Amino acid sequence: MSGIMQKIQERLQSYRVPGYYKKYDYRWTMVIDLDKCNGCQACVVACYAENNLQTVGKDNCGIARNMSWIRIEKYYEGEYPDIKVKFIPIMCQHCDKAPCEIGCPVFATYHNQDGLNTQVYNRCVGTFTCATYCPYDVRRFNWFTYKRDKPLDQQYNPDVTVREMGVMEKGTFCIQRIRAAKDKAKDEKRPIKDGDVTPACVQACPTGAMTFGDLYDPNSRVAKLAKDPRRFYLLEEKNCGPNVIYLKRVMKDGSKA
Amino acid sequence: MESALGLFDYVDELANAAEKMKSAGYYVEVFSPVPLGHELEPILGKQNNPIKYATFFGGVSGFCFGMVLCLGTIAMYPLARGGRMLWAIPPPLLISYETTILLGVLFTLAGFVLFAGLPATKEHLTPEVSVDSFGLYVQGIRRGGFNEVEKILTEYGAKEVKKVEE
Amino acid sequence: MDRKPEGLSYRGVNEDIINFMTKTGPKYYLVLGFFILCSVFLYLLPWIHQIYTGQGVTGLNVPVVWGVYLVNFVFWVGVAHAGTLISAMLYITETPWRRAIARSAETMTLLALIVVAFFVFIHMGRPWNFYWTFPYPNQRKIWTSFQSPIMYDVFAIGTYFTSSLVFLYFGMIPDFASLSQSTTGWRKSFYKAMSLGWRGTDRQWHLQAKASMFFASFIMPLVVSVHSIVSWDFALSIVPGYAQTVFAPYFVTGALLSGFAAVILALTVLRWTFPMMKKYILIHHYDRIGLFILVLALTWSYLTGMEIITGYFANTSDEIQHITYKILTYPYSWLFAFMIFCNTILPLVLISGKVRRSEKLMFFLCIFIIIGMWLERYLIIPNSESRKFLPYMWHSYTPTWVEMSITVGALMVFISLFMIIIKIFPVISIFEIKEDVGVPMKKEGH
Repeated sequence: MSGIMQKIQERLQSYRVPGYYKKYDYRWTMVIDLDKCNGCQACVVACYAENNLQTVGKDNCGIARNMSWIRIEKYYEGEYPDIKVKFIPIMCQHCDKAPCEIGCPVFATYHNQDGLNTQVYNRCVGTFTCATYCPYDVRRFNWFTYKRDKPLDQQYNPDVTVREMGVMEKGTFCIQRIRAAKDKAKDEKRPIKDGDVTPACVQACPTGAMTFGDLYDPNSRVAKLAKDPRRFYLLEEKNCGPNVIYLKRVMKDGSKA
Repeated sequence: MESALGLFDYVDELANAAEKMKSAGYYVEVFSPVPLGHELEPILGKQNNPIKYATFFGGVSGFCFGMVLCLGTIAMYPLARGGRMLWAIPPPLLISYETTILLGVLFTLAGFVLFAGLPATKEHLTPEVSVDSFGLYVQGIRRGGFNEVEKILTEYGAKEVKKVEE
Repeated sequence: MDRKPEGLSYRGVNEDIINFMTKTGPKYYLVLGFFILCSVFLYLLPWIHQIYTGQGVTGLNVPVVWGVYLVNFVFWVGVAHAGTLISAMLYITETPWRRAIARSAETMTLLALIVVAFFVFIHMGRPWNFYWTFPYPNQRKIWTSFQSPIMYDVFAIGTYFTSSLVFLYFGMIPDFASLSQSTTGWRKSFYKAMSLGWRGTDRQWHLQAKASMFFASFIMPLVVSVHSIVSWDFALSIVPGYAQTVFAPYFVTGALLSGFAAVILALTVLRWTFPMMKKYILIHHYDRIGLFILVLALTWSYLTGMEIITGYFANTSDEIQHITYKILTYPYSWLFAFMIFCNTILPLVLISGKVRRSEKLMFFLCIFIIIGMWLERYLIIPNSESRKFLPYMWHSYTPTWVEMSITVGALMVFISLFMIIIKIFPVISIFEIKEDVGVPMKKEGH
């Protein structure tokens, strides 16, 4: 009897723990070395190919409706001959305290056991609340029913849903690859090793600026890179707890080189 | 038993007649097109208000309903979102604030319908009482006593007295 | 003075209301047909087009995902507010002048809420799944997220709609009984069924008064909570321009301001179209509501100032950017200036009693207030999203013809519904007007 009571008490207490899951199984983290990024957009192309992103055409791109889950933001400093361009690749940051998840009335976006911020397309009713609340503007909406011309429709990735009109979508850290790696590891009766999972953008990066892995594993590359003194989080002051770490050398005068 | 319905044009006359009938031991009921609580309360006595129990019950059950809905559903199917607690304090309070009002209103309506004897199939005794006449309905008249009642009502200013068979 | 309707008898009131409802000329049907046609072409067909094609027919884009539809949503919730306030708050305080106009204002509330509900569905990406936002046990085995501000909205507006419906119907029960005695045909059986066999006994009247008081006391806090919750859709985010603690009182005040303006518009149209209404809707009502509007406009102006000044004092780059965009960038600077003109400067003329007592001036003033209040929501909702945190994602928003057409169409829907409703249900509370006339006494001086 007392055992059951204790169980109930533990259960009740667990509901008061922020995020409910006391410890996630994994903590997927991406580290992006901005000093290495040359703005080649290979990651963007890779994401389009891997995740069945639709191309929307010139007109819709002109009014900010492109579907890219990852984008390279370009910031210019100075006038033409003496100009500096700075790049920062931005994708869904998989925030621990994601504001978008609070907004959704139908649990279409929630936190899964891996600590990933997931989007369930079938549950989405399209209230746009998540896109409003997102400080990084990484959520993309299916404004129309997009169709690919032949023979490009043969190029869809079978592991990824083709989203229908009226649902919200966003970067997933290539959750289908995480899933595959988990299945493989389970077959071989071992936990996931560092390097088992490589999202498409990381795979495509020619300069090796992006690294992906489990932050809970102290020997993983991301765990080591996360201790880098150049580390910073994007919009950290908004207190969303993002899971993408950027590395950037800051000059003595305070500017980021 | 017989009943009589006296139609009056003026409320003060009706009030006097009602007082007289009541003291004579009849059961009186007033039909009117407007509320007459202020005028009749001294004569017919203070009425109780059973609706308040329905309202109170509705409010309390609404509050509990909101709490159970918020806390119970998430306990049945825990989904973490936004790094917040599953059992956070403000959202259930907010939802139960609304459900308190919702069920409070619905129970008040139900209580009103119940205690006011609605929905009823009884016909209006006469259409005038819903337009511009005030009716004094005297019940519990012994057989043969109608003429006496009619006389008193007319004396007090009733323009018409109807005999109602039950 | 003209504080009470004069020259009315109990029988006259009944006849007036019945004539108002039953004697409908061909002109009325013509106008109603025109408005229904407008609703179909401006509202229904564009919406069908939008459902079929997708939300892409609107001008929305990724940072600005809440556009004119949300503006209309907030605006119509605001219009709904004054009706409840007149019928509930003034009931509790036993203000006598509410009796003649409470029913029409309350009807406006209900119809505005219908428009509101449809704007929620219009704005959704997959409106055919709208019922997924309702909490009920379902085969999908998932409940709704009660931490979501959108869910608060579902509860707040659902409760508001239900309570308004109950209160409105409840107040009509004695009138239905009265009407069923004096009408013929389908109306007689309809009103009889709706009256639930009300007989008007002293016991029933006593319970009616008690229940009214309960309803009024429930609905009063509800009114305040509904628009607060609507404002928290915005205030609970972290977007600069949305995340304002002042939003709840700001929105409630703005809602009441636009609501009272809408009530004046409706009352004036009723007065101009049906001369009989002049007996019931008095200049005194204009005077009182004019005072309300004056006070609310001044409160609103104060809160608008607070909204901007607190943002300016915070002095973070995103707040400054938002304020610059909202009040200093063309064309929003002009819209902002026009909004201030409509809602702060123009209402100051209400200080003069002559203006308050002139129905024409009040009518045009209220049109300006309505436009100003719509602009207020427009300046808050899409403009804040245009300037979020990352400058690379700053995009502006222009509404398309679909959005504007649905916006105008919603007004047409509202007018059509109102025109139908006032012919079926008593738009003036019969028994309350009779109370206004007074209880007939043989002896003078009670």
